[in-house]
Amino acid sequence: MGKHEIRLRRQRLTARGSERFRNYGAVLKQYGEERRMKIITRIFTFIFLILALVLVFIVVSRWEKKQTVPEKKTSQTEQVYEIKQVV
Amino acid sequence: MTEDEIRKEQAIIERSKNDPQAFGELYEKYFERIFNYIFRQTDDEELTDDLCSQTFVNALNNLGKYEFRGFPFSAWLYKIAGNEVNKHYRKNKGKKIFSIEELKVRELVEQTAADWDEELINRLIHYMNELPTDMIQVLELRFFEDKDFKEIAFILDMTESGAKMRTYRALDKLRTNFNLKVKYDG
Repeated sequence: MGKHEIRLRRQRLTARGSERFRNYGAVLKQYGEERRMKIITRIFTFIFLILALVLVFIVVSRWEKKQTVPEKKTSQTEQVYEIKQVV
Repeated sequence: MTEDEIRKEQAIIERSKNDPQAFGELYEKYFERIFNYIFRQTDDEELTDDLCSQTFVNALNNLGKYEFRGFPFSAWLYKIAGNEVNKHYRKNKGKKIFSIEELKVRELVEQTAADWDEELINRLIHYMNELPTDMIQVLELRFFEDKDFKEIAFILDMTESGAKMRTYRALDKLRTNFNLKVKYDG
């Protein structure tokens, strides 16, 4: 057996059969809703990206601070050691 | 379709890109064909209604990307409709249905009324159930929607020669298995 099923219809499809489903107003409404959702999703994605960038910036700047502080400390202790040696 | 008709249709499409209300004209023109095409693949009016609406909504959403490639606008709609139907079956993991009209099958095999009996119909349905789904899709578009091979290739995303080959292979089997005279054009 294939992945489909063949059904034989005795009657031909008529225009009258599909007529009650014809409704362009409903299509326009659905289109409007989908468009609105798309715009909202885009705005949220944009805000999320900005927040993510800010977060990355904060994390990087903190990390840089942490990297520079111990360097200063060692240089100060080195200086004190050098002074002591001189004395 | 005449060149004048194509030009008019293109003008409506251009207008519709800025004014979705203008698309209504194309909706009215193609609704029945697209509805019937989907109905043949679902055999369910309510489901067809949903998929048909989604087809036109998708068309409106992607109208900006549409460009004329020598096919009537309806081919693009058929392509979207086919994708919607496939998406539905993928999501629901159901068996794809092809609901075909007996009258059209009779036209296809060009049988005289006297030779046409229930047993032959049952054998034909059984045979068509055994064919690969993509072969049935090509047959459906060729004989039930009266599309030419170029359009079928565009709708099903395949080459024109591939569409021809699939059709002829299916019809050859039909002729040899059933000893029937088949409408063999293209």
